[in-house]
Amino acid sequence: MGRLRQKGKAGAAKAYVTRTSAIKKLQCSLADFRRLCILKGIFPREPRSRKKANKGSSAPTSFYYAKDIAYLAHEPVLKKLREHKAFAKKLSRALGRGEWSDAKNLEDNKPVYRLDHIIKERYPTFIDAVRDIDDALCMAFLFASLPSNARLPPVLTENCARLAAEWQLYVMHTRSLRKTFLSIKGIYYQAEIMDQTVTWLVPYQFTQNIPSDVDVRVMLTFLELYQTLLGFVFFKLYTDSGLVYPPPLDVKKDEGGAGVGAFSLQSTSQAAPSAAPKAKAVEVDGRKISGKDVRQAIKTMTGDSATNGGDIDMPTAESSSMEVDEEFVPQQSTSDPQSTSSLTTLKALEALPQSLTTSLFSPYTFYLSRESSRSIFEFIVRSFGGRIGWPASSGSGSPFDESDDSITHVIIDRPPVERTDETAEERERRLRRKYVQPQWVVDCINAGKILLEEPYAQGSTLPPHLSPFGESYEGAYDPTVGLGKQTVEESESEDEDVVLPEDEEEGEEQVAEKSALRAAATANDPASLRAAELAAEVAGVDFGTFEKEVRKSRKKSKAPAKDDREEGEQDMNKMMMSNKQKKLYERMKYSEKKKASERAVLETKKQQLQKQKKREAKAG
Amino acid sequence: MAALDVKPKSKKRKQAEEDAPAEPPAFSAPVESLEMLSDDEGPEDTASDDGHVDEFPEIDAASDSEEDGSFEDEEDEEEDSDGTDEEDFEEEDSDDSMDRDIFPKPKTIISDITGQPKRVYPEIEPDYDSDSSTEDAPNRVGDVPMHWYDDLPHVGYDMDGKKVLRPARGDELDKFLQTVDDPSAWTSAFDKTAQMDKPLSAEELDIIRRLYANEVPDAGYDPYEPMTEWFTGKGKEEVMPLSAAPEPKRRWVPSKWEKQKVMTIVRAIRQGRILPSKPKTTSKLEFYSIWAEPSTSHAPPLPAPKPRLPTNSESYNPPEEYLPTDAERAEWEALDPEDRERDYLPKKYSSLRLVPAYDRFIKERFSRQLDLYLAPRIQRVKLNIDPSTLIPKLPSPQSLKPFPNYKSLKFTHSGRARCISISPDGAWVISGDENGVVSLWEVNVGREVKRWKFAGKIGALEWCPRLDVSYFVVGIEEVLHFVIPPNLPSPVLVLTQSLLAPTTLPPASETPSPVKWVTPPTSSWSPDTAILTVQLPQSSGLPKQIAWHRRGDYMATVSSGGAQGGVWMHQITRRHSQAPFKKIRGAVQLVLFHPLKPHFFVATQQYVRIYNLSEQKLLKTLTPGIKWISSMDVHPSGDHLIVGGYDRKLCWFDLELSDKPYKILRYHTRAIRSLAFHPTYPLFASSSDDGAIQVFHSRVYNDLMTDPLIVPLKILRGHTLKEGLGVLQVKWCARQPWLVSGGADGTVGVWCS
Repeated sequence: MGRLRQKGKAGAAKAYVTRTSAIKKLQCSLADFRRLCILKGIFPREPRSRKKANKGSSAPTSFYYAKDIAYLAHEPVLKKLREHKAFAKKLSRALGRGEWSDAKNLEDNKPVYRLDHIIKERYPTFIDAVRDIDDALCMAFLFASLPSNARLPPVLTENCARLAAEWQLYVMHTRSLRKTFLSIKGIYYQAEIMDQTVTWLVPYQFTQNIPSDVDVRVMLTFLELYQTLLGFVFFKLYTDSGLVYPPPLDVKKDEGGAGVGAFSLQSTSQAAPSAAPKAKAVEVDGRKISGKDVRQAIKTMTGDSATNGGDIDMPTAESSSMEVDEEFVPQQSTSDPQSTSSLTTLKALEALPQSLTTSLFSPYTFYLSRESSRSIFEFIVRSFGGRIGWPASSGSGSPFDESDDSITHVIIDRPPVERTDETAEERERRLRRKYVQPQWVVDCINAGKILLEEPYAQGSTLPPHLSPFGESYEGAYDPTVGLGKQTVEESESEDEDVVLPEDEEEGEEQVAEKSALRAAATANDPASLRAAELAAEVAGVDFGTFEKEVRKSRKKSKAPAKDDREEGEQDMNKMMMSNKQKKLYERMKYSEKKKASERAVLETKKQQLQKQKKREAKAG
Repeated sequence: MAALDVKPKSKKRKQAEEDAPAEPPAFSAPVESLEMLSDDEGPEDTASDDGHVDEFPEIDAASDSEEDGSFEDEEDEEEDSDGTDEEDFEEEDSDDSMDRDIFPKPKTIISDITGQPKRVYPEIEPDYDSDSSTEDAPNRVGDVPMHWYDDLPHVGYDMDGKKVLRPARGDELDKFLQTVDDPSAWTSAFDKTAQMDKPLSAEELDIIRRLYANEVPDAGYDPYEPMTEWFTGKGKEEVMPLSAAPEPKRRWVPSKWEKQKVMTIVRAIRQGRILPSKPKTTSKLEFYSIWAEPSTSHAPPLPAPKPRLPTNSESYNPPEEYLPTDAERAEWEALDPEDRERDYLPKKYSSLRLVPAYDRFIKERFSRQLDLYLAPRIQRVKLNIDPSTLIPKLPSPQSLKPFPNYKSLKFTHSGRARCISISPDGAWVISGDENGVVSLWEVNVGREVKRWKFAGKIGALEWCPRLDVSYFVVGIEEVLHFVIPPNLPSPVLVLTQSLLAPTTLPPASETPSPVKWVTPPTSSWSPDTAILTVQLPQSSGLPKQIAWHRRGDYMATVSSGGAQGGVWMHQITRRHSQAPFKKIRGAVQLVLFHPLKPHFFVATQQYVRIYNLSEQKLLKTLTPGIKWISSMDVHPSGDHLIVGGYDRKLCWFDLELSDKPYKILRYHTRAIRSLAFHPTYPLFASSSDDGAIQVFHSRVYNDLMTDPLIVPLKILRGHTLKEGLGVLQVKWCARQPWLVSGGADGTVGVWCS
């Protein structure tokens, strides 16, 4: 006999701990535990058997891996949290006693934890970090637009805004934006960084209010982590592409509402000598900017205004020269001579679509009218190589004004107004430019080509804006594809039905004939067939047409009959499935059916809409 | 002053006592008395002080200064204190003794023996003068707890060392009377040493009164006496310094060593070794290339699942078909937010400038974060298979013909056709209903040949499987009727009659049986009545089932009530019945004979037990896992058994394989009522309360390695449901793949291939 096994000493009972016991073990409060879980990325696990994991109790609890908790016990952040607890006690005591200087001293030496080791731990490689910055970006963009209050210090908002701007600058600089989607929730952007798709959601520019049922502490803890993560990721991204991080902020421009333009990208080689004065420029007020800074500012301005900004195109030029050196020479395989010809090189692959799509707008110059959001379209247009200007009301820093002759497109989002008092010059300018609605820009980049401007012209009804991400599953309803052949036929026949009452005047005879034929078509058993034949004779249908009709209907009904039989067999064979298989089958069938019904609902709706439109067109 | 002095004085005195043990013992007595006196004196002194406050300092000025000096000394140098204290004390002592004139003066005389001078005190006479003899203390036991004497007859000792006996004390009544008599009883207290009540003095009563009134117990004490000012006030300032020593240099020259110490610190601060204050902890993070150094070899934790990407319906300008209709909108709004499939309703805006802020934006981000840190994550393998591949591939029913396919004819009863039986040659059917009618009709055409009417419900009926004789058994309440069908060929009829009603009855068995076999007299034989009647014991109820042994000699019946599980085994040739089980666990539902072996299947509510009849022992217990077994049939090969239950399950047992079912099928929507294997064709059928009959192909192989093949062939529908009951019994025709089914709607159908 082997050793007796004690209950609860191995297996799930040992591998999982409940949250309460985890807190007890770590000797911290629930709030601290939550904070730790958020920072360390520890989440509850679902044991295979809850009863076994909870020592026989089936009470609803959440379980954590015992090892996760064991690692947490040695976490420096936990130590700092404990120190903070002691500090809070000391501080409250000092305040209670009125020992202000002691309190100030304590406050100055408040324990602060750092998160860089956690970042390194959670994301051992840079790719891991890039893969996971979606949520971080969403949060940064959200908090950049939140009004500060007692819980959200202005520093936080500022930092988030800075991170958001830095990210946008980087995306614009590397031209890695791929897709954009204007949704009712906000704007989805998708960029491709280091071969990872990063999708983030930016709210429309309105003041958001934090609802009362949202725990701000949780959000702020997440934000704490995300800020650190983004900082490190941006540092790496910037330094890898030869830029200075953090990009220096021009205070004056920022106060003028320049947004992203307030930051200037500097390549490291350029910035190395001028790093010190740069820092100074941030501090000093607008009046006292040194000459060097002015020169720098001018340089960045001209860089922006030039179609191929010097600092933007520099790395690409380098890389292209590198690639020329390593030309891929196909070698014929000795064993299989046919195989070589179809090999594609990395260069060929890169050359194909990217050059086209990433510099989609490079030949064009845009001008934003004041009602369209600058932050959105400046980002989109510039990340596809276009130049963009805006009126002063949308913020400072526009590289050109409205009267610039190079403007090819005006992004305008208001109904057209007949203007009587325009000068000849203005009129000429207006005719030369194309006035498009903002959706055109987004649809162009999603399509990867310049679309026709007419459907998007000012004041016209826009074509629907579709998601560039597609539907969530295969075989979902696709609004771009026309309806299937069968459905078209159906609709035609229905149209006939609709038409039918109109030609009622043709005479009773025809109606009778038709009804007789229909009866023939529906007749199945011999008796009813006989009756139908008699009815047809009475109605005056000649036998040939009657036979034809019958044969047609037979053919129609036969195919489904065979299907029916097979279906019946299948149904019967289902009896022989095991219970597990049966349940799985039912589930799969259910989801299939649900998808199909969703699709069908959309299709019928579209059909109805089309019909309605047709009718309206007829009426109108 | 006196009050101040009391404490240190007594303390010092004790010290003095310890210090001077060599002093004559006679000295100790006065010391004692002095102590007492000083205690008593306190208030007196203060009282006297009150009288002449102003003069007091002048009187005692010298001693005061002395006292002060000693106090200072005490504070500064404790070592010296003892000596000075002693001096003080002695001086005071002498003063006191002079004042009071209590202590006898010693005479100094030259000792005769030693030649040295010695002090001689006068003899103390214990008279009224003496302090201790002022009061007559009859009990001189001393200061000991009086409870030591609780158990003794005496309470102490008098001066002579004789016991002072406990004075007699009356009982409670006496005490009470005493209190009544004595008007001062309530102001007296019990004295323990005297063991009697002593009246309290007026002073003591006054103290008690003061204590009650929360006042200072001492009448002479004035808590609010004016403060005596010794050193403050006009003209009392100290003019002269305490000591004449010159001011030391250290008081006014800066310390060199201190300067050195400070200078080291200053130098350290200047050099930056000591920071004036710690650098402030800043929340500003410095970023650096964190991924420059290689990471640990740990696998990175799995990234959190990404949220779903938006679809067309989320667009600000979706195609119109995505917009919800009013019904859809109402449905969406009626649902709880957590039940909604989508958390938004598609909406269309004609231009981007009209799109408002999304009001649930923060809420959604928050719920995403809650998902990230509160939701357990499970990795699920997504099954990417076609669901139709899950359906087992079975041979097509078309290739497994013949099997009953359609209803060829219908025979109607007035009540529920609960039981049917088909003659062993497969040509005749008898069917019984709940009104007590048994009909005999042909399978081929459905023509009724004969009808019998019995009193009460027909519980079961069954043909005898023998081919050389022809009769059937009908079970009604507590009675089994053996009936011979009409129009039999004469040899068969004769043989049947001789079997059921032999002229010479077989000898009665030794063991008497409660079952009576009754044959009516030959004269009263008619085709309408039974030729033989077996009367089951009283209160055995309706026979639910009749099962024949394949030879046709033995027959088992199961009754709904009665002892021994209601199972009776009847032997026709011996006209004898016996109960095979003395006692059986569970209610017996069904019994069956094994087709080949002397085995006997007994189905109780949840188990099927197999007994060996020849060895009379239990072979096996099968556990189908059915809550309530309704039906059972054994395959003609005897190796397979199907069991059906009211809980819709059908279990196929391979008897050589296991006690557990080989296959459990669940396809009927209601309780299974009846099961039947075809005797020759590889078919079996089940009927259920859902009104359907399911026909299966069931091929079993002699090869032990091959599992039996079960193929569903056909669902026969045609019976209507009545009062929740569907098809009550199915039976197969022996030589044809035809099925006969009796339903609760009173119809008996024949299903042909």
